[in-house]
Amino acid sequence: MSYEQMNPTIEKILVNIEKVMIGKRNVAELSLVSLLAGGHVLLEDVPGVGKTMMVRALAKSVNANFRRIQFTPDLLPSDVTGVSIYNPKEMEFQFRPGPLMGNIILADEINRTSPKTQSALLEGMEEASITIDGVTHKLNKPFFVMATQNPIEYEGTYPLPEAQLDRFLLKMKMGYPDLQEEIEVLNRAQKVPPIEDLSPVIDLEGLLSLQQEIKEVFVDDTIKRYIVDIVNRTRNHGSVYLGASPRGSIALMKAAQAYAYMFGRAYVLPDDIQYLAPFVLSHRIILRSEAKFEGLFAEEVVNRVVARVPVPVRRLVK
Amino acid sequence: MMKRNFPALLLYSFGFLLLWEWLRPVEQLTDTDNMETFVFFLLISFALSFFRMKWIWQSIIKLLFILFSINRFYYEEGFFQSSWLKSFSKDLMDNIGFLLARQWNDLSNEFRTLLFFILLWLMVYLIHYWLLNRQKIFIFFFMTLVYITVLDTFTLYSAKAAIVRTVITGFAVMGLLTYYRITQKEKVNDDRSILRKWMVPLVGMIALSVLLGIAAPKAAPIWPDPVPYFTAAKDKGGNEGSGGISRIGYGTNDERLGGPFVGDNKPVFMYKANGKNYWKVETKDMYTGKGWIPSGSTPIPFMEGDLVPVYSIPEKVETIKETAEVFFNTNYSSLSFIIYPAGIQKILEVEPKAPDLNKFQIDTTKEKINSFSRDISSYKVDFGIPKYKAVDLMLTTEFDPTVMGTEFYQKYTYLPEGLPLRIKQLTEEITAGKSNWFDKAQAVERYFSNSGYSYDQKKVALPGEQDDYVDQFLFDTKRGYCDNFSTSMAVMLRTIGIPTRWVKGFTGGDFMEYSQGGESRQIYQITNNNAHSWVEVFFPNQGWVPFEPTKGFTNDININYSSGQTSTNNQTPPPAPVKKPQQKDLEETSKTKSKEKSFDFKELWSNTKLFFENNWKLLTLVIVLLAGMTGILYRIRGKWLPFVVMVWYRFKKKDETVGTAYLVLLAQLDRYGIKRKQNQTLRNYAHYIDSFFSTREMTRLTVAYEQYIYHQNLPKGTWKESRKLWENLIKKTIA
Repeated sequence: MSYEQMNPTIEKILVNIEKVMIGKRNVAELSLVSLLAGGHVLLEDVPGVGKTMMVRALAKSVNANFRRIQFTPDLLPSDVTGVSIYNPKEMEFQFRPGPLMGNIILADEINRTSPKTQSALLEGMEEASITIDGVTHKLNKPFFVMATQNPIEYEGTYPLPEAQLDRFLLKMKMGYPDLQEEIEVLNRAQKVPPIEDLSPVIDLEGLLSLQQEIKEVFVDDTIKRYIVDIVNRTRNHGSVYLGASPRGSIALMKAAQAYAYMFGRAYVLPDDIQYLAPFVLSHRIILRSEAKFEGLFAEEVVNRVVARVPVPVRRLVK
Repeated sequence: MMKRNFPALLLYSFGFLLLWEWLRPVEQLTDTDNMETFVFFLLISFALSFFRMKWIWQSIIKLLFILFSINRFYYEEGFFQSSWLKSFSKDLMDNIGFLLARQWNDLSNEFRTLLFFILLWLMVYLIHYWLLNRQKIFIFFFMTLVYITVLDTFTLYSAKAAIVRTVITGFAVMGLLTYYRITQKEKVNDDRSILRKWMVPLVGMIALSVLLGIAAPKAAPIWPDPVPYFTAAKDKGGNEGSGGISRIGYGTNDERLGGPFVGDNKPVFMYKANGKNYWKVETKDMYTGKGWIPSGSTPIPFMEGDLVPVYSIPEKVETIKETAEVFFNTNYSSLSFIIYPAGIQKILEVEPKAPDLNKFQIDTTKEKINSFSRDISSYKVDFGIPKYKAVDLMLTTEFDPTVMGTEFYQKYTYLPEGLPLRIKQLTEEITAGKSNWFDKAQAVERYFSNSGYSYDQKKVALPGEQDDYVDQFLFDTKRGYCDNFSTSMAVMLRTIGIPTRWVKGFTGGDFMEYSQGGESRQIYQITNNNAHSWVEVFFPNQGWVPFEPTKGFTNDININYSSGQTSTNNQTPPPAPVKKPQQKDLEETSKTKSKEKSFDFKELWSNTKLFFENNWKLLTLVIVLLAGMTGILYRIRGKWLPFVVMVWYRFKKKDETVGTAYLVLLAQLDRYGIKRKQNQTLRNYAHYIDSFFSTREMTRLTVAYEQYIYHQNLPKGTWKESRKLWENLIKKTIA
């Protein structure tokens, strides 16, 4: 979409990220969309494709507090959220914040830990607050979680329940770099990782105000209808056991607003919806086992659904 | 700018023709002479323009021509003798003085001619400019039409041919100009084949519209032709009967009948009598094709109290003796002729009294009684009301030289040469099956009442140079007043050999009051509105018998249809003279009208039904054809609709137009064969279209449309910016 002027701030952030990440512009874009829309991202990919690098670059660009949690089977919820420790000097419990108290959190291999710990994280993602020993602690704003899942190893993992997957705005794959890109990666690897040199583009205040502006992006009734049409169809699709919820619709709209904003538009286009639908909806539907056996993926189903829904090209007649 | 080529020549010729149309009426309507010189000047000017001579040479040639023409018009000396130039320049100076002093009337003819030349010069320049620089001529064309039509309406100038010429040249020149505009705008190479492609439909279009215009029925004018008013006003109503609008009343000149009348209720005379009757003034015998003239005649003098030597009613015919007293209205006391009822016997008690008795003179052909004294105010007239018997009237079946002089017969059956044959055919048709003259005359008399003829004083045609007065009325206009009806009947009967003459006079007038004194007589008033004309048919055994063909008029002629017996109480006592209850009449007619109306619906329905029953085949055919044409038009709408749409949208100003226009474009692209898939976003589709046509226009237009539908908010001037893109895309689909 070269004919559109990207939002200059966002453009700068993307450029920043590209300094350390080779290729993968779309992943960067989508992560930003999620960050700007106030959502979270689930990255499903094998290790070593640069997930951490990207998140760090992103955090650096927005001058955010970056934390990383490596999930293991023996990780406890308090390891994530923080814990109250008795301070004998002061004769009281003191709260020591866990890694969840950062702004941008990389939750690595989230499916390796026990559901208990998972839900501690997910509660924080949903409510923007955590409760420890009966005390509710507000999380920082902005709060952005990028969780990763390894799709290869299933042994000793605890797959995230569907209801919890819903908490992620977008789910995407990173994918391998192509040949040229990978060569470039090797080139870069010979030097010092440039991540330390990245300078922030905006501060957290700026990011929050961007988030605020994105809420103002206009979504016409035709577009809303289009969104609902798409989501609705996932519920009736033959291969789908459980379709996307209204939360899916909201997520799609919010993501589209952020995406439109990113491209300097004050209004959402059906194009935005079409592009985002697979990322927003694929982890919100459960396929029938037959469909799974046929090798059908949720992304594919969502794409088929989108292809079925007519694009609105006229004003709604009220 | 255009090259000097054949099309430019065409354009110039059309410009010349259009301008010429302005000059044509000038010659006819003003006293401008030597129009050909001016036309020639136009020709020269256009030619110079066409050859693109330098302006200085052009000016010199034109100036020389002007001077030469002025010299030729106004000066005796030759052009090369410089003496005239001196006087001309002096004249020029004087006239400029007049101009400054605004004494327009004092301008000399030389100067006016010069100004006219200059005006033409300017016009040629303007047309040249319009044609070649602006490439628009519509205003001039339109003004030409207005000019011609106005002249046609309000002056004697007949624009029948001019309008056709103007329409042809105007359309042609506009068509050509459009072609040039388009080729220039679209940067199409000036290709002969394209020109030909353009010319053929253009010529076809012009031919079609002209033919259609000529063939199409034209609405009748909604007001009476104003030309007679103007001419009449100009001539101060001078020569009556010469074709202008006339004032009703008694006139003597009937050489040219026709044209509208205006009413005039000035009283002419009153009479006291026992019942109403028609009053005669004179009769005429020779029909000329346009009107009536009296043939030669000899005056016979006679005295007051003498038997008036008119063609009397034969003894065989029973008459009722009557007397009527006539009082002239004071305004008309200067009339020098006597008004008399049919069957006049004597004129008595003429006032003012002459020392001995008043002397009169009668014209044998016209039967007009002139008085030697000019200011008669009243007189008494004795006359006999004839009581005809139908049996007697029916006796005459053909011309019989033994009872009627051949010369006499020829005189009253005279018809002009070149009288259209169809009058005779019509008469024969009407009188078919009737053997005697009386029946024939009655058949013709009745014919007018029920054959679509109507009485009218206003919308009455004046026969043109080639028209016959009777023929025009009978077959074309079918609208007229007494003169039309009476003349027609007289002429029609003459075509089948029945002698007739044309009588002028007055109808019975309006009842005023009962006369004072014991006698039961009534007083009637006659106004100019009562002026009338009717027909008398000659029966050898009965004399001149009056007939009344005019619709709406009746002349109470006593004809007894019962074979032999005399109907005694027929005439006396006279019919109760009731003042014409006009109001009531009107009411009644309106009542019957409304009745007719309520009938009409039923009739209309049945007529419609009948029409459908009779013509259902044709109707079906027409409907099928129409449906077929509509279908074809619909199928090929991709070919013509865009043009319509483009013109339509050219006049749109609102930014919201983008919305509808874009959808039109989508439909057009669809017809073109590049269909948008249902799930394809506009942007995606626009990319596809742009790569198809290798432009970027669709994408740009789409951005505007996206704002229209997905943002509900259009920046100002969107349509203005997008229209061009839109038009280009539409054009691509029809290229």
